[in-house]
Amino acid sequence: MSDKNKSCSVPSTGEPTATRANAPMWIIVVTLILLFIGGIYFDRHSGWFDAKVYAPYASAETLDAYQPKSGAAAFIARGKKTYEAVCGICHGPDGLGKPGQAPPLAGSEWVTASGFNRLAHIPLMGLAGSIKVEGKDWSLNMAAMGAALPDEDLAAVLTYIRSSWGNKASPVAGDDIKKVRAAIGAGAQPATVEGLTKMPE
Amino acid sequence: MKTGVCIFLAAFVALGASWCGFVLAPVLQLGGAKQTVILQSTDNWPLQRTGEATLGLQVYRANGCAACHTEQVRQTGMADEVTLTGLGIRKPEDFSAFAKSLFVLPELANFTNAIAASLNGWSGELPKTLFITGDNDLASAMADRLKAAGVKSETRLIATGADIARGWGLRQSVAADYLYDQPVQLGSLRAGPDLANIGVRAPDANWQLQHLYAPKSVAPNSTMPSFKFLFEVRKIGATPAPDALNLPKEFAAAAGFEIVPKPEAKQLAAYLLSLKANVPLYEAPFTPVTVAK
Repeated sequence: MSDKNKSCSVPSTGEPTATRANAPMWIIVVTLILLFIGGIYFDRHSGWFDAKVYAPYASAETLDAYQPKSGAAAFIARGKKTYEAVCGICHGPDGLGKPGQAPPLAGSEWVTASGFNRLAHIPLMGLAGSIKVEGKDWSLNMAAMGAALPDEDLAAVLTYIRSSWGNKASPVAGDDIKKVRAAIGAGAQPATVEGLTKMPE
Repeated sequence: MKTGVCIFLAAFVALGASWCGFVLAPVLQLGGAKQTVILQSTDNWPLQRTGEATLGLQVYRANGCAACHTEQVRQTGMADEVTLTGLGIRKPEDFSAFAKSLFVLPELANFTNAIAASLNGWSGELPKTLFITGDNDLASAMADRLKAAGVKSETRLIATGADIARGWGLRQSVAADYLYDQPVQLGSLRAGPDLANIGVRAPDANWQLQHLYAPKSVAPNSTMPSFKFLFEVRKIGATPAPDALNLPKEFAAAAGFEIVPKPEAKQLAAYLLSLKANVPLYEAPFTPVTVAK
């Protein structure tokens, strides 16, 4: 019995077992090369996961380089900010004025005059007495709200009110305000309509 | 099963990694998105839609508009556009030769020749686009030389790409544009044109309604189906309804009847008019055209 079995069985070598073998060198090299290329691609195209960076802008620095530095629009935006903080409380953010507080600026002949000279005197000196705006008399006093503003800011405000709400008048520069301020001098009394109309426009 | 733990961990890591990539990372990146501010302005962007337009988004969704329309403008690059705004002492007929003389470097010969060629036969109307270039330094060098020669010019940053050239928007769409869209109707197929800027391209509500009722009446080659079921055919009463459509003869209702938009049609039109991609943002800057003073 045992002999018969022996003759027809293959020699037993036991269960095959898994052994460890080193990964081929070429796979390691290819993986490292792929990782390297992936790293370069990531650096060029990911924008480092910045939520503000979209292709075709590669990084936050590239995007920053394309931001507008200055220009007329920036000046007007600056004027709007100052206007809403200082002037808009009485004249309204829409420039329509408030009954019993301040006359409108939108469409006002004082604001849209061809020159800004008279207009610039009002925030720098204040205004006393009655003034006629768009056919209506306003008898209110205004303090010299612009006297404490820097030249550039006041120029931006005047540019903003002269070019908003349907107004279309020329812009005002910071140097222009400087000249007007120098002409007024220190300790001036509030302006009156009579005084303003004597000045050039 | 010796390797069970190993298989479980491998599957967990694979699914977890993709969850992190597709869910966690976008939420961390854009989950806290807030209203932003239009570039060089203090106005907010985007504005919350009116109630009617918010309902219109659901009509847009229910009618499967996103199956044929996208709401995403793509951009491939940026360029500087130099525009002449004043000629100073130069005359239009000599300007071509003058433009050629601005850069004498031989490597820029092609560039200046192209400008000179585009100025041939120019009658002098302003503003005139002089050239568009992706080279920022070249544009500013040109602007400097024009200024030195007493010629007024403006340099604008513009977005470039096929969608921009088609007039589908002034810049690419960014995440902030979709802040109030619930759900976002990006779309992926363009059987019809992109609608990200439709509120600027076709700002007339009556045009939108007529187009929804009978697309071919305003765009003869349109393949868009008619959305007649958003409208009601009514017998004209004592006076015609004020919002009845004013259609050309071949599309109009039978005599004595009028076509009146249902609320859904008006909501959809209000939503379409709210779609705009025409303001510069920090993440998608360009120089808007300002009114020349």
